[in-house]
Amino acid sequence: MRPLTNGLARAAVRFKPSAFAGTFVALAMAAAIVSACGILLETGLRASVPPQRYASAPVVIAADQRVHYVIGHGDGRSDESEQVPDRARLGASLVATAARTPGAAAAAPDVTFPLRTAHGALTGHGWGSAPFTGVALASGAAPREDEAVLSPGAARAAGTGVGGRITVTAPDGRHTFRVSGVTRKAGGADGDGLTAWFTDRRAGVLSGHPTTVDAVLVRPGTGIGADRLAGHLERTVKGAAHSPRVHTGGGRGAIEEPSLANAKEMLIALGGSFGGIATAVAVFTTAGTVALSVGQRGREMALLRAIGATPRQIRRSVAAEALLVAPLAGAVGLLPGCALARWWFGQLEEKGAIPGPVELAISWIPLLVAVGAGLLTSLLAGLMAARRPARIPPGRALGEAAVERLRPGVIRTVLGVAALVGGIIMTGIAASASGDDAANAALGVVMLFMLAVALLGPVIARLCAWLIGLPLRAGPAPAHLASANSRANARRLASAITPIVLAMAFASTLVFMHTSEDHAGARQRRAGIVADQVISAPEGLPSGTAARAASVRGVAASVGLLRTGVLVPVGSGDGRWLRTASAQGVSGSGRDLAAVQDLDVRKGRLDALGPGRVAVDGLLAKAAHARVGHRLALHLPDGTTISPTVVAIYGRGLGIAELTLPRTALSGHVTSSFDSDVLVRDAQGADRKAVAAALGRRLGEDVTDRDGYAAAQDEERKLNAWANTVMAGVLGGFAAVAAVNTLVMTVLDRRRELGMLRLIGSTRRQVLGMVRWEALLVATAGIGLGTAIALATLVPMMRGLTGEDPYVPPLTYAGFAGTAVALGLAATALPARAALRRTTPKP
Amino acid sequence: MGLRKRRQTPSAPAPHHAHAIELHGVQRRYGRGRTAVHALRGIDLALPHGSFTAVMGPSGCGKSTFLQCAAGLDRPTAGTVKLGGTEITGMSENKLTALRRARLGFVFQSFNLLPSLTVEQNVLLPMRLAGARPDRHRAHEVLAEVGLGDQARRRPGELSGGQQQRVAIARALVTRPDVVFADEPTGALDTNTAAEVLTLLRQAVDTLGATVVMVTHDPVAASYADRVLFLADGAIADRLLRSPAHEIAERMTRLTARTPALAGARSAEGAR
Repeated sequence: MRPLTNGLARAAVRFKPSAFAGTFVALAMAAAIVSACGILLETGLRASVPPQRYASAPVVIAADQRVHYVIGHGDGRSDESEQVPDRARLGASLVATAARTPGAAAAAPDVTFPLRTAHGALTGHGWGSAPFTGVALASGAAPREDEAVLSPGAARAAGTGVGGRITVTAPDGRHTFRVSGVTRKAGGADGDGLTAWFTDRRAGVLSGHPTTVDAVLVRPGTGIGADRLAGHLERTVKGAAHSPRVHTGGGRGAIEEPSLANAKEMLIALGGSFGGIATAVAVFTTAGTVALSVGQRGREMALLRAIGATPRQIRRSVAAEALLVAPLAGAVGLLPGCALARWWFGQLEEKGAIPGPVELAISWIPLLVAVGAGLLTSLLAGLMAARRPARIPPGRALGEAAVERLRPGVIRTVLGVAALVGGIIMTGIAASASGDDAANAALGVVMLFMLAVALLGPVIARLCAWLIGLPLRAGPAPAHLASANSRANARRLASAITPIVLAMAFASTLVFMHTSEDHAGARQRRAGIVADQVISAPEGLPSGTAARAASVRGVAASVGLLRTGVLVPVGSGDGRWLRTASAQGVSGSGRDLAAVQDLDVRKGRLDALGPGRVAVDGLLAKAAHARVGHRLALHLPDGTTISPTVVAIYGRGLGIAELTLPRTALSGHVTSSFDSDVLVRDAQGADRKAVAAALGRRLGEDVTDRDGYAAAQDEERKLNAWANTVMAGVLGGFAAVAAVNTLVMTVLDRRRELGMLRLIGSTRRQVLGMVRWEALLVATAGIGLGTAIALATLVPMMRGLTGEDPYVPPLTYAGFAGTAVALGLAATALPARAALRRTTPKP
Repeated sequence: MGLRKRRQTPSAPAPHHAHAIELHGVQRRYGRGRTAVHALRGIDLALPHGSFTAVMGPSGCGKSTFLQCAAGLDRPTAGTVKLGGTEITGMSENKLTALRRARLGFVFQSFNLLPSLTVEQNVLLPMRLAGARPDRHRAHEVLAEVGLGDQARRRPGELSGGQQQRVAIARALVTRPDVVFADEPTGALDTNTAAEVLTLLRQAVDTLGATVVMVTHDPVAASYADRVLFLADGAIADRLLRSPAHEIAERMTRLTARTPALAGARSAEGAR
């Protein structure tokens, strides 16, 4: 029996390959998306960076870069952790402890910090780490107090050499050093860069955190292996402050390059979460296309049944078709999939989200999974679609092939309603998410609504056809026909509408999520920054800048802002998690701050701000259960825990910063304690231009008005916005191609019907007009449903994130809707023209 | 249970049972309650082997439904159907299919052939579906009988309507079936081709001893039959033994005029 069904399948495919073109395209695209996401996932899982500076240090001790917390209790306990926003550091005293450990020959601290010079940015280190990082002197001597050793590049840029002088600006002010030596141009990371080395003590002061170091580098004595020494060290430093961890071998690279952890998380989220959703969408649309294709051959199956094919033989034939088409289609889709992954990865690398040494890993696993997924989908979808025509008596099948079944099955309706309810519930949950979790939650909500639309498809389609058909019914004959056709063939209509709904829903949700955030943030900033001048520099401003600005005539108040991120525990019970929140450390008092920023204080008073106190944004306070007068536990950028008292709750956190602290609380806990901006408010009646000029002269920095504040915004937010747009493009593009595919398939299948219309007296133009009206009906229904789903998702989410309704840029929305309509019209008009090409219609 | 798989026998074996087709109280209802349509309202019928029966009636009288129920293509709502003594009403789809393959032949009015297979492959389809080795000699034999021996490699799309219909008959006859069911086989053909097709069916009855049940509305086609059954409103209204075409036409007219059938016909039509 098997050879026959294979033969039938082969004959069918060979005779009219165009009938399977639709399925082929859908499967190829699905394979492309699944393989692209799979490649990114695998790259994320495998990503590693070889140590560069630490290559010559066999053992490196560094602090644990993750904050750990426990949720649940008893059997439901789970240990969670979150990456610190900046970098966790070790106590400087650990160096001595490490040096005393048996087996250790020597130990040295390592610090890295940014400096400014007149010629650009400089990286600073302590000279103690030099022997451990492969740095050696080419000329001169090691630095003493007030002296510095420069790299060849730094010396060249500063135009100085051994014996000369160099002036650098550190967060604590300007200093001049005598150049005591120049290093050899080595192959390591410091070889060509602009780097300077100071004494360990001076380096600690310049870094802004004199009591903590980035890492402790240890060299084992002769005859002792790095791993054995690591074992000894682990015992010695066990229980010390800041949770030290000992690293050897490849693990040192992750310590050296802290952005690797974030990059891995992002790639895994992209490949895993987004990949999961994209796979679900791909499987779903492909299944629909396959079902449509099988359904269109209902008459053939009925005939086969009539002349003696058993249900099993029919099913086998459908399975054989799937086995013929799917692997080839999958293989064809792999190439664009790899190209997509490569482009995406390259873009992320360019935007600095992925450190340079990480490479895209393309292995056979995601490719096999992609092809396998396509095969499984087409097999299962085909068998499910063939189940009914294979099983029922052929007489009924012949009749049904001409007219659609009226009611969807009970199971389908129940599942559809369940999905709808699930979507509504999930919307409520998603309303409390934020950041990148918001994106994932939003996609989940859209998926559930989409599932509801797909399962309840024919019912919804008939409703749409009835509703939108009302104005058509009164129109000319083509319009009337279009309305009647759509009402009668609800299943066909549903299969055409679903991909358009998909495209609109996903594209709208992802894009308008970040336009809403940007819009709300921009509005808050415009209202919240009341300073007259904004002083900023790309590499940051030293901490004395605000005080010096205050001394200029005509200045009433001047505040320096150190912007960074902190971790805040939000949620309650088992839903607790640590969220990164933006924070600003302000120099000066709360009253000074109120002069340059209007944070829209709702509760409490801002002038109570001082050491051990914090002011919190209203939405964050709600999520973290913070109240005025109570303490709020949070983690500083390096992981240190503090519990300041909340003194005020304000409304403009999204646009400015979600937490406001005194600068002193943050400055010892960040890598770069330069101020990001200094905001200046002029005295009553002062001449703005004159003050601006005076500030520029006194400080030697860029002075702009309040719009300059907006320019230096969150890099991460921009990256998120770009990522959302790419995701929208991928999903929306896929759905758009699926929509075109389905529309072409349905029109081509109606060749006889269109021919018959010509026979009974319609002109070619009238028939094409009917097709056009149907396409418009489909597009309108799809756009309407898609927009409804997007709004249902966005409104609660944006209310939770920004406190406002979503902002939809009208041009962008019009672009989406216009594209949907254009695609719908093109996808139906062209095949209809092809079907009507015979000038004399044949019965 | 009496499922004889036909092998290559040169002539039909003697029938073991008295009737080729038996229907007892067969009813077929579509829908439910007030909107139900009764396509067949209790048919009792017994057709002997080796007979050619034509079923006629106005549109919507249930002709095609009758054929489908008799052939096992559809399940009646009530009553029993027996083919060659085997009751098919309660059979599973798989068994029914095997029976259809081996002992029945079908010719529909249109869409008889799979467009992706050649004429020869279409003719051999029932045998291949049964898992038997395709007998190309037999295929050519039966194609020669219908006058298309040289078209074996063509595809249906390349043939005229009449030629396609003849291929369908060849396929119906290839397994030497007990019964051949034909639903308006000459509906779309010109008079000459129709005559050829009907002669073929007549030959199958006379030479091969097959039983043919043909649904038609054409009195000329019905005149080839041994008996004509007139259906109206889902029941057998009249019978006529072998008669010339004008008598059949006259009986038909009388039947249509007599029954207030046109109102009933429209509602029955709506069911199909």
